[in-house]
Amino acid sequence: MSMAALSLEQAPPISVPFRFFLSAPLFLLLAATAWLLAGSDALASRWTPAMLGITHLLTLGFMAMIMCGAMLQLLPVLAGAPVPHPRLVAWLIHLPLLGGTLLLAYGLYFYAALPLKLAMLLLAFALAAFLLAAIYSLARAPARNDSTRAMLLALAALTLTLGLGLLLAAGVANLATIPVLSLTALHAAWGLLGWTALLVAGVAYQVVPMFQLTPAYPRLATRWLAASLFVLLLLWSAHPLLPDDAASLLARLAGMGIAVCLGVFAILTLHLQFKRKRRVADVTRQFWQLGMASLLAAIVLWLGAQASTAIAASAAFPLVLGMLFILGFALSVIIGMLYKIVPFLIWFHLQSILPAKQVPHMKEIIADSGARWHLRAHLLCLPLFLLSTLWLQPWMYAAGAALMLNGILLLGNLYRALRRYLRGASLAAASSAAGKQ
Amino acid sequence: MQQEPPATIVELDVRDLEPPEPMQLALAAIAALGEGEKLRMLHHREPYPLYSILQQRGFSHRTTELADGSYEILISR
Repeated sequence: MSMAALSLEQAPPISVPFRFFLSAPLFLLLAATAWLLAGSDALASRWTPAMLGITHLLTLGFMAMIMCGAMLQLLPVLAGAPVPHPRLVAWLIHLPLLGGTLLLAYGLYFYAALPLKLAMLLLAFALAAFLLAAIYSLARAPARNDSTRAMLLALAALTLTLGLGLLLAAGVANLATIPVLSLTALHAAWGLLGWTALLVAGVAYQVVPMFQLTPAYPRLATRWLAASLFVLLLLWSAHPLLPDDAASLLARLAGMGIAVCLGVFAILTLHLQFKRKRRVADVTRQFWQLGMASLLAAIVLWLGAQASTAIAASAAFPLVLGMLFILGFALSVIIGMLYKIVPFLIWFHLQSILPAKQVPHMKEIIADSGARWHLRAHLLCLPLFLLSTLWLQPWMYAAGAALMLNGILLLGNLYRALRRYLRGASLAAASSAAGKQ
Repeated sequence: MQQEPPATIVELDVRDLEPPEPMQLALAAIAALGEGEKLRMLHHREPYPLYSILQQRGFSHRTTELADGSYEILISR
């Protein structure tokens, strides 16, 4: 590969990550709409068709959408590992992921086999394309560190999540007979505790000190956390293979180990943020603090369920646990990250095409007040959703409205940032056209 | 025999700065680099995006990891 091609590929065109970022908030709006339309029946258990559909609108439509887009962008920045043919790769991932998620959510929500079968094809294609591109880039990365190793483990976890998800979809679409309960537990564990938590950790090791100006994560923690979490997930997954007594002991021990790993990560992150070097208000930090506090709350709740069968047996327990992890932890961390990645990205692209004086300051690209309003709407979301699991109405309508507002504010902030970029790009195009005349 | 004078080294410590300041300062510093001068940059991570810009602008760089986990990047024409 020539040097010129290498440096061009080093930063993918801005359209590559942006198509993912702009699509994701639409899934928040869809999830909120589905939630409002489903009514209180949806909340009877985690297994209702509406709840399964809404969960996948959030985990695939919002979380995976942004995580895939951000990874295509961050691999060259964090690991020096550009994704080959970024524009083509983005097309191959984005559209099938978008279509596949819509069909999957529709198929689960309305219990329709044909959309589920189509969703299986599209999602398998999209995520396989993403996995191949990301693993290929990471394998060739000049950087080999704890962060890239955690990312590779996250990709392995995504592979398992996808495989298990396809099996489950085949079961629901009557293509196969499968043990639904145990496979769902595995699918959710690898998707949330594997892919999501491992990727958040791998990215956090670099991005928290970089953008939030905290001390570095201690080497001892970055070296062991991700690998331990992965091995513990493997052990936990293998527990049904053992005889009954040994199986429940192994599940319990592995579960405790996972709780300790995630707890150490959350407490360490909060501690580093507390010791940050520049004491200025920062929306990203607040999103992350909410995320880490939610993660700790989820761990405490899970520990409570281990000690008390009353908690473990209640229908609200898995719902509250899922809400704390997905809405409280994953969404907060992902949104908080976006408020750093997006302005940086736009600044980075504009500085390469505009004279220094015309490049907007990174802090002007997304107004702090806009991000702060979003934080407030997001802060409302979690308690309202938690209240709806306990006392359905009117909280569930308020929760749906808060999630809708959450999506609208994110979309508005991203849209204004994109306009800012397009203004700069048209300025650059005008001056280069004038220069040629 | 006359010895060549040692290259003047310009120091730039960006370890406590928030993006995009490290890159902004680095780009300004290499633009101001005189004949025979080198830029010694201290960074808390490896600045991969900067590397590709350096390459495009005809600069070479040598990166060394320091004992405290930060990086020294020596940039010259």
